[in-house]
Amino acid sequence: MLQLTIQIAVNGLTFGLIYILMALGFTLIFGIMRVVNFAHGEFYMVGAIGILLLFGTLGFNYYLSIVFAVLCVGLLGVIVERVLLRGFVGRELNSMIMALAVAITLQALAAILFGPQEQSVARPVTGVLQVAGVFIPRDRIVVGVIALAVLIAFYLFLRYARYGLAMRAVAQDPAAAALQGIRPGFIYSLAFGVGSLLAGLAGALMAPVYTISPFMGDVPMMMAFIVVILGGLGSIPGAVVGGLLLGFVESLFSTFFGSTIATMIAFGMVVLILLFKPSGLMGRAQ
Amino acid sequence: MSLIKLENLCVDYGPISAVKTLNAEIMNGSITCILGANGAGKSSTLGCLAGLVPVSSGRIIYDGQDVTSHQAHQMVSAGVTLAPEGRRLFPGLTVYENLRLGAYTGHAREGFQEQLEAVFGYFPRLRERRDQLAGSLSGGEQQMCAIGRALMSRPRVLLLDEPSLGLAPKIIVEVAKIIRSINKTGITVLIVEQNAKLALQLSSYGYVLETGSLALEGPCKDLLHDDHIRQAYLGGTAA
Ligand SMILES: Nc1ncnc2c1ncn2[C@@H]1O[C@H](COP(=O)(O)OP(=O)(O)O)[C@@H](O)[C@H]1O
Ligand SMILES: [Mg+2]
Repeated sequence: MLQLTIQIAVNGLTFGLIYILMALGFTLIFGIMRVVNFAHGEFYMVGAIGILLLFGTLGFNYYLSIVFAVLCVGLLGVIVERVLLRGFVGRELNSMIMALAVAITLQALAAILFGPQEQSVARPVTGVLQVAGVFIPRDRIVVGVIALAVLIAFYLFLRYARYGLAMRAVAQDPAAAALQGIRPGFIYSLAFGVGSLLAGLAGALMAPVYTISPFMGDVPMMMAFIVVILGGLGSIPGAVVGGLLLGFVESLFSTFFGSTIATMIAFGMVVLILLFKPSGLMGRAQ
Repeated sequence: MSLIKLENLCVDYGPISAVKTLNAEIMNGSITCILGANGAGKSSTLGCLAGLVPVSSGRIIYDGQDVTSHQAHQMVSAGVTLAPEGRRLFPGLTVYENLRLGAYTGHAREGFQEQLEAVFGYFPRLRERRDQLAGSLSGGEQQMCAIGRALMSRPRVLLLDEPSLGLAPKIIVEVAKIIRSINKTGITVLIVEQNAKLALQLSSYGYVLETGSLALEGPCKDLLHDDHIRQAYLGGTAA
């Protein structure tokens, strides 16, 4: 019983942290640019393909592969924002369609370059850790520790760094932020880059756990959507609360009733939230 | 010496013409005011100077340079900072974070600590409220925070859009005193007001806008005694 409880908690926490990584970037990009980034799942996919290429094919060290893949995804995000999305900032419908186009293009590119089939990489970390009679898979711990460390770093950046402060200012009032000397365009690139980077990290961490394919971003994208609706679109604390909630609910229900029921419950929560608190758990009423 | 010159400044919002061929001059080290009823084009004029509102035609000359097409961040770097209408603080950030954002640009960051002390000197209540969210401040405190935030950029020119709006008379007097002492440190002040009496008492020279056009200008002591001004802006009674 204890073993099962801890198993559910560990799974819930790992999934929760991955969902938070995905949802944070998504909500950050929306909060600052008012762009619903439909390509967010594709940045996750590119992160995973980076691991397939660097770690799987070229045989680099797993952790170095993560760092390099994730930085590349961040750079890709900056380029996509600057070249394709900048012209549509503030025009929600247009930017949404452009993001959709980016998503489809990235999927197609991945299919052309790496093939449409599902691929996998060997698990870089294996075995279980035994703590007080409880077994925890080592790779879960690695995923959890890296995700947590990055989330804490991201929090400190937003809270204390000059550019983090500028991001929060632009999200609250772009015109007032410009009056302080902040260049909105620079902050857009930064936010999109950081958001993509977080999605890329989620993909890189999940690459050894799931199979890798051009379309693997669809599910995490949907999960980010659920998390963000649960927590409140544009709300950073909301993404954390929503991510943990979804992680634990999924873990609990899939352990006892299977993953189909778990997904149904997740959508059930979304329906309830939309009915009774449409701005989300931590969102401000519009 | 004139520090800012507006030459035939026009502002259009689509078909709406908000400012029509405005000519004005702001003397270095002075306090100058722009008066006018609601919708006269005062905020649009300040918006142009701050680089936030695009100029439709005409020129803005600042310190001998054409800054007509400068954007907001360039104007702040050049030393022109706006405390906008309605204060526009970042409500979800603390007072300290708002002030820190005021010193975002390069030259302001270097003297941050010193300037923060100066702002706390003007507004001791901001020091007490340092870690409180700006959205939770009273109206008077918010205005102080907005002026303080603008000062954090170490401006040469301070643009104030209706600093008295929504404040209690006692607080207005306090804010007016501080605007005067800020000006004494050498900062040029351009103040926009519907509260004509306050603005005319503070300033040395004034412009009066009516539906986007310049209706009247002159030294404030003359404007205070002008019949038209009295009737239109001072309630018709002797000041
Ligand atoms: N962003 C805007 N879009 C369209 N019209 C505007 C905008 N801002 C101001 N106006 C119009 O321009 C005119 C002048 O406005 P404003 O400069 O705010 O005047 P004031 O500050 O003197 O009240 C008004 O008729 C106002 O309705
Ligand atoms: Mg106005």
